[in-house]
Amino acid sequence: MQNTAIAEKILPVDSYCQSFPRIQKIRTELLLTSNSICLERPCLLKEFSKSKEGRTSKNQHPFIRRAKALAYIFSNRLPRIYQDELIIGNMTSKRIAANYYPEGGSINILEDLFKLEKRQTPLKLSSKEKRKLLSIAMGSVFDSIGAKALLRPDRISHFLNFFRAKRYFVTEEAGIGHQVGGYYNVVHHGLIKVEKEAVSYLESGKSFQGQQLTDDQIAFYQSVKIIIKSICNMALNLAEKAEKMANSAGISAKRNAELLEAAAACRHVPYHPARSFKEGLQACWLVHIAMNLEDFEQGLSFGRLDQILYSLYCQDIEQMKLTPDSAIEILASFQLKTCETIPLYSDRIDRFFSGNGVAQGITLGGTDEKGNDVTNELSGLFLNAFDHVRTREPALHVRVHEATPDWFLQKAVETVQLGCGKPSFFGDNSIVRALEGVGMTKAHARDYAIIGCVEMASQGRTYNSSDAALFNLPLCLELALNRGKQFSKPDWSQRRLGAKTQAITQMTCFEDVVKAFKYQVEDSINEMVKVIGWLEDSYRIWRPTPVNSIITEGCMKNGLDITWGSALYNLTAIQVAGLADAGDSLYALNRLVFEEKRYSLEELVKILKCNFKGFEILREELTHKFPRYGNGITEADRMTQLAADIFSDTIRSHYNSRGGQYVPGMYSMTCHIGFGQKTGALPNGRPAGYRLSNGLSPVDGSDRTGPTAVLRSAGSLDSSKWANCCALNMKFDKKSVQGKAGRMAMAGLFKTYFEQGGMQVQVNVLDTRILQEAKKNPSAYPGLVVRVAGYCAYFNDLHPSVQDEIIERTVH
Amino acid sequence: MKFMKLDNQQNTDLTSLVFSVQHFCMHDGPGIRTTIFFKGCPLRCTWCQNPESWSRKPQIAFKQHLCIGCRTCVDKCPEQALSDPGYRNADKCVLCFTCVGECPSTAVVRFGDLRSVGSVIDELEPEFPFYLNSNGGVTFSGGEPTLYSEFLVNLTEDLQNKGIHISMETCGYFSLNEKAIDNSKTSLKKLLSIINLVIFDLKLFDNEEHKQYCGTDNRQIKENFTTLAKQKSFQNKPGLWPRLPVIPGITDSRDNLINWSDFLLENQIPFLTLVPYHKMGESKRSWLNTEPGPDLTPLSDEMLKAAQDLLESRGITCYAPGEEDWSLI
Repeated sequence: MQNTAIAEKILPVDSYCQSFPRIQKIRTELLLTSNSICLERPCLLKEFSKSKEGRTSKNQHPFIRRAKALAYIFSNRLPRIYQDELIIGNMTSKRIAANYYPEGGSINILEDLFKLEKRQTPLKLSSKEKRKLLSIAMGSVFDSIGAKALLRPDRISHFLNFFRAKRYFVTEEAGIGHQVGGYYNVVHHGLIKVEKEAVSYLESGKSFQGQQLTDDQIAFYQSVKIIIKSICNMALNLAEKAEKMANSAGISAKRNAELLEAAAACRHVPYHPARSFKEGLQACWLVHIAMNLEDFEQGLSFGRLDQILYSLYCQDIEQMKLTPDSAIEILASFQLKTCETIPLYSDRIDRFFSGNGVAQGITLGGTDEKGNDVTNELSGLFLNAFDHVRTREPALHVRVHEATPDWFLQKAVETVQLGCGKPSFFGDNSIVRALEGVGMTKAHARDYAIIGCVEMASQGRTYNSSDAALFNLPLCLELALNRGKQFSKPDWSQRRLGAKTQAITQMTCFEDVVKAFKYQVEDSINEMVKVIGWLEDSYRIWRPTPVNSIITEGCMKNGLDITWGSALYNLTAIQVAGLADAGDSLYALNRLVFEEKRYSLEELVKILKCNFKGFEILREELTHKFPRYGNGITEADRMTQLAADIFSDTIRSHYNSRGGQYVPGMYSMTCHIGFGQKTGALPNGRPAGYRLSNGLSPVDGSDRTGPTAVLRSAGSLDSSKWANCCALNMKFDKKSVQGKAGRMAMAGLFKTYFEQGGMQVQVNVLDTRILQEAKKNPSAYPGLVVRVAGYCAYFNDLHPSVQDEIIERTVH
Repeated sequence: MKFMKLDNQQNTDLTSLVFSVQHFCMHDGPGIRTTIFFKGCPLRCTWCQNPESWSRKPQIAFKQHLCIGCRTCVDKCPEQALSDPGYRNADKCVLCFTCVGECPSTAVVRFGDLRSVGSVIDELEPEFPFYLNSNGGVTFSGGEPTLYSEFLVNLTEDLQNKGIHISMETCGYFSLNEKAIDNSKTSLKKLLSIINLVIFDLKLFDNEEHKQYCGTDNRQIKENFTTLAKQKSFQNKPGLWPRLPVIPGITDSRDNLINWSDFLLENQIPFLTLVPYHKMGESKRSWLNTEPGPDLTPLSDEMLKAAQDLLESRGITCYAPGEEDWSLI
């Protein structure tokens, strides 16, 4: 279809004023439902381990053991179908709940057991369920990956680090998740194709390379058969349930037909190739549920659904089975399904990952493998559908390149104007370059999709533990200035946290400081990589992921589970918090001590140790008058680049046990708040305990020259090493970017930013007054969506300190 | 902070006094713009929210709320002109701006830097791509930018050579027939022939009222508007867009609105931006030790709507700032 024709259809939001009562009903119901914890999964796991099958499987190969346990969950969980929905399949046993993963970090919720209803993000659980939760948690203390990897005498201090979370926070302890599966194959080839491959390998007894299958490979192909069968069982159970409901009393003829259609779909997909647009979405959804039940819920994403489903969409439109309007309704129903799941965090952990989101990403627009634009009508319809749901999930991502059609960029910006912090924008040029830099072919890099919030994968080909850990970069500077100890307590009273680097008395030039800083970064990263390595070992034995393996290229060929390194591309990514704080601090330190010689290094460190007490004048000067990153000032931006490079180079020198490279991401979730509380005063004037800078954003309040300068600074940084992307947060007052003029301006901003080498940007359009009121009176503002770091959250779900940050962040 | 410094250009180089350069402005013409605020204004509208724009001299302002009471300004003043932070003896002060440079918390600030064309362009240049990608550009504002017409001609020519769209906001009080303050009349005429868009402020139609509230005669303003409207009709340049601040009890009277609508129709300009009165600049008066502005009732949505309805009933299409349909010009 011609671009102009699409534009006419999609652009004006008013022409889609048709509302869908069905969608509004589902949405309202979801917003009014209290969140809970689902105990079905751990109960089924326990049931299985006590069963005969379970007991015998204990002595079988880890692949088989794991596949059988998961198969038991898939086959025996109760199907639930909710009113009005067009895409069926329940994520948990409740309408909105967190799954409990004994293998992961779910046990942390016990910290809040007695205040579940009173938390910032309340969880509703009956007292009977609470007792059950306690018994499940206590009964599975040693089942978690963290415990299996670290509860040993020589590793116990690393186990305790999960609770200290100063230098880094290893999220991989909870699960790996974070995947963009090969949904193209799921939709167009069905799981039957993978199953046939497994059967043929087993029958021939020969591997892809023509060698005798090893025991591991045989076990793997068997696990593939087991898991596919159980996914089909899950779909069949849903189909039966839908048929039963269709024929029950009081069901309207219309709903009867819908339910029977859904049942027919579930009897067909995901085993067989989808026959229609709706079946395509149903197939994706069913496999997505399996992915959620397998590992854990974070960052499980769908990839480029506008590309994957486009041919089915066109076919249905041509055969008059579908109209753009009915497609919007189906897409909206699909998007609402993603609201059924939440993560399970205790209040303590919530400070690091606030927002209750799991970030189920959908990527729209972009190019084909040759670099030609492939934005299509469906890309726009996904956004139109979101206009109707306006919920925290899913995460919507828009790819921008030179040939992105204007109508699409405008449409995406129009969606941003709704004020839900979506979609976020990604620059194809920088991203493709960064992915090629870690060994991807250009064609594969161009087929990237966003994992969760901002991370990147070549869809269906990558196993990226993209959120393995978060890293506190400014702390390394603190440690570098105090021989590995923190400023907060007298040196004699604390254990050395970092490495024993050169004493400041012996540092004679800026390069000496940088050297010590770099050494501290290396030291922290070495320790972190060691811990992650132990976790990886545990994953291979205790938590293989067969579902992930059947939808990721490479695993079938290699005949090994994805945790064994069989995916085409393997990566582990570490995210940095406080990047701008580190950069600005290096700048300030260099200028004060070495350029202007106003203080000796000893004097400066003394000032930092007493948290600027008695030196308020200096702190004011540093805060207001020193150049900072984010104002288009080269000398300041250069130091942030230096900090980023030190981190990136160190990270990239490591390899995980799957043979993949470690890569950096410049985003911080809300860890910059948690880390900030544990970090001492910094040379850029930041007082001890204050939150750190967020992702790629400038330090709060230091973007003195406005948003264009922030984009100039961010776009000027060399992002070619950031193979796990970055998050640049911008916030606009609703008034400043409303209407057509606001749309044109924002589109102009993003276009320029990406032309200049920008990688990612996300925008909150909001009214500060509304946020202040929402903080005072949360019940009056349900469903107020804001963008936190890489992800969106309901404002009321945020930790109060995070709410404050959202309010205080400079309003442009 | 290279732009905070006084530009010590040779006398041969053209300079102007600028008190602010603001990027990402969206209410002063189409697209993403940078607005340059020039210092000095011939009018003294009682409701003015930009007292720092009045004087043609650099000024020192004191922002009490940012002061941490460190007294650095007092201690460092070479003339001992300060008795306390914010208490500056204007007779002793020689405007050396030491206090501005020394204040750690930016409580003491300078309004008005001498800027050369080159230094302004250097500051704007990194923003060019934003203008070009959004059909935006640069806006001259003030104060009254026509006070620096020779400077502006140079700046405009340089920017237009780079493909940048230029607009100017004016109070309309300038003379095309007499020798202007800093330059020859030809430069102002030239400026008005090359610039892309003039955003023209209209305030009070009645001359006596204008004298009372804005401090000057308004015949010249109307005459200039008509000249520009005519010029637009046969040269198609510059675009002309009128703006009216809606000041409760002053500019929103029935007579004033009716007179202006007739005037606009006579000039064949049937549209207008209504700028709602706000009090956000009130604190700036205290920074500069200027006496407080009049205690006006805040403008309610109803009052704004009433003014708009009246104008629209007489054939004038009204716009809110930033929502103009620039294709009309």
